[in-house]
Amino acid sequence: MARFVDLAVSAVLLAGLYATMAYGLGLIYGVLRVVNLAHGGVIMAGAYLGWVLHERLGIDPYLSIPVVLASSFGLGVVTYRLLVRHLPRGPAGGPASLLLLFGVWLVLRNAAYLLFTGNDQAIRTAYSTRSIALLGSQVSVNRLAVLGIAVLTPVLLHLLLTRTYLGRAIRAVAQNADSCALVGVDVERIYTLTFGIGTALAGLAGLLSATLFSFNPGFGSGELLKSFVVVVLGGLGSVLGTGAAALILAVVEVFAILVLPSYLTAAVGFVMLVLVLVLRPGGLFGHRILG
Amino acid sequence: MTLRWPALVPPRAAGAFAAAVAALAALPALLDLSAYTHNLVTLTFLMVAGALAWNWMGGFVGQVSFGHAAMFGVGGFVAARLLLAGAVPAPIAWLLGGAAAGVFALGAHPTLRLRGPYFSIATIGLGEATRLLFTYWEDFTGGSSGLSLPIDPDLKFRLYWWGLALVALVAAASFLIRRSALGLQLLAIKADVDAAADVGVSATFHQDLVFALSGAVVGVTGGLWASYFSFIEPNDMFGFDRSIGFVLMAVIGGVGTVLGPALGAVIFVLLRQYLLASYPQLYLGLYGTLLVLIILFEPLGLTGLLLRLWRRAARRPEPAPAAAGGGR
Repeated sequence: MARFVDLAVSAVLLAGLYATMAYGLGLIYGVLRVVNLAHGGVIMAGAYLGWVLHERLGIDPYLSIPVVLASSFGLGVVTYRLLVRHLPRGPAGGPASLLLLFGVWLVLRNAAYLLFTGNDQAIRTAYSTRSIALLGSQVSVNRLAVLGIAVLTPVLLHLLLTRTYLGRAIRAVAQNADSCALVGVDVERIYTLTFGIGTALAGLAGLLSATLFSFNPGFGSGELLKSFVVVVLGGLGSVLGTGAAALILAVVEVFAILVLPSYLTAAVGFVMLVLVLVLRPGGLFGHRILG
Repeated sequence: MTLRWPALVPPRAAGAFAAAVAALAALPALLDLSAYTHNLVTLTFLMVAGALAWNWMGGFVGQVSFGHAAMFGVGGFVAARLLLAGAVPAPIAWLLGGAAAGVFALGAHPTLRLRGPYFSIATIGLGEATRLLFTYWEDFTGGSSGLSLPIDPDLKFRLYWWGLALVALVAAASFLIRRSALGLQLLAIKADVDAAADVGVSATFHQDLVFALSGAVVGVTGGLWASYFSFIEPNDMFGFDRSIGFVLMAVIGGVGTVLGPALGAVIFVLLRQYLLASYPQLYLGLYGTLLVLIILFEPLGLTGLLLRLWRRAARRPEPAPAAAGGGR
């Protein structure tokens, strides 16, 4: 029973991280209809940025959140303006944007190898090993902080999408870009900002992962797969759906440890992806466009 | 007035093709190639066959697969096991490996009746899941220490012609697929799945068929690969880098063109052999940059570039669409 509670608690904590990873991918796909294959690379870059700030400048990873958000936002804006903008839209642009963003991912990975070598790194702070008792099980302070941020992120994202002009414009562009241009919304600007916000969220997810796990330049491909599972499972755009889907994935993954040999747990995400795509291609909660 | 159906194989193209294959077959005897060059050309043949087969799925159907290493590995390990058991001669082992890879692709595929980005991301998962399964299935694959085959220099020498035969078959098949009704059906699916379904072309059936065929060829390539290196290891055979390799060769040469990926494979092998041997720490970034530049500036890769240069040289500023289509 104690084991069960332990696993349940760690599943909830993991779910927060998975949801944070997935928002960025879902937002960009929902608005631009582009699957950001560089997502995993940005997650990795966010992790390294947090690590550098901590290792070289002694900045606490949680204090470096604004820096990571701003730099990955900038990276997203540059990627969009320089590259993605020039691709054809719609189904014709599908393979092209996949391959292009895959190329960006390879470049990011190579940059990380050159700058930081292929060794595993981790962010170790004074409180990394501290834990408190919760529901009778020991919970790491770090994981709780990650969960807190992971709960705060969708609330802020939801407020942004529903309460601001920018958010309303993003949702409108997701529904019908042509009509937006007619009523004077600068569609290209919205695309740029959306790509930036989506990338910033990926960077944040990377920073949060770095406080929990070790990482190397190859980090991110499993995270991309999991983000995709969550986006597909949660249906596009609904913030609550994404959270629920992240919880489902985390619970299945964590409890799979009980029945599967540990080396196979990495395949759990893939099996879930296939099941969801075959059984509920519209996601568990149907389609809703952002908001 | 009667409509003439265009010949499936234009005689001139068939003649040129036969001449090219004959020239390549005679090359070792004519030029007295060094063992190094002989082996490098053999390796290039294997890559060319794999790239052309990847292109059936990624180019003709327009479904980009990041998981072809799964079939490459299955074909390689099945062939290696058969060779180790000594049950069948090498060519039969390679073919059986290819058949196993085709069945594997077919088995995986109906669960992935997906399109576009869903398909591509699912193939990343398929590749990784397969790699994990086979790495830990030590009884079959030898785990991380891999399998060693008996070294047979004579067989390795003859692999040149086996590889060439495979390339000739796959290139001819690429050509025939593109010119046949099947090729038109695949084009229809690529352009618009729903419209294709309206006129009775089933995306599911054709996608399964092409994925299985493409997987089988890549599986045969894996078997030849195993014989060439006499040692195979799951993390290499099933590795993500190998899947990326197929994508890159096709993109460099020209995704969706008939023979472009062959050209891409040659460039890929040469790059790897001469440039990256000196700068191993730059290979991912170089490939990534190539991908980005090609997609942005010349989506048909080297084939597109060559076509453009050829048109300029022929001083035809307004190329007739028919000429462009025939040239590919």
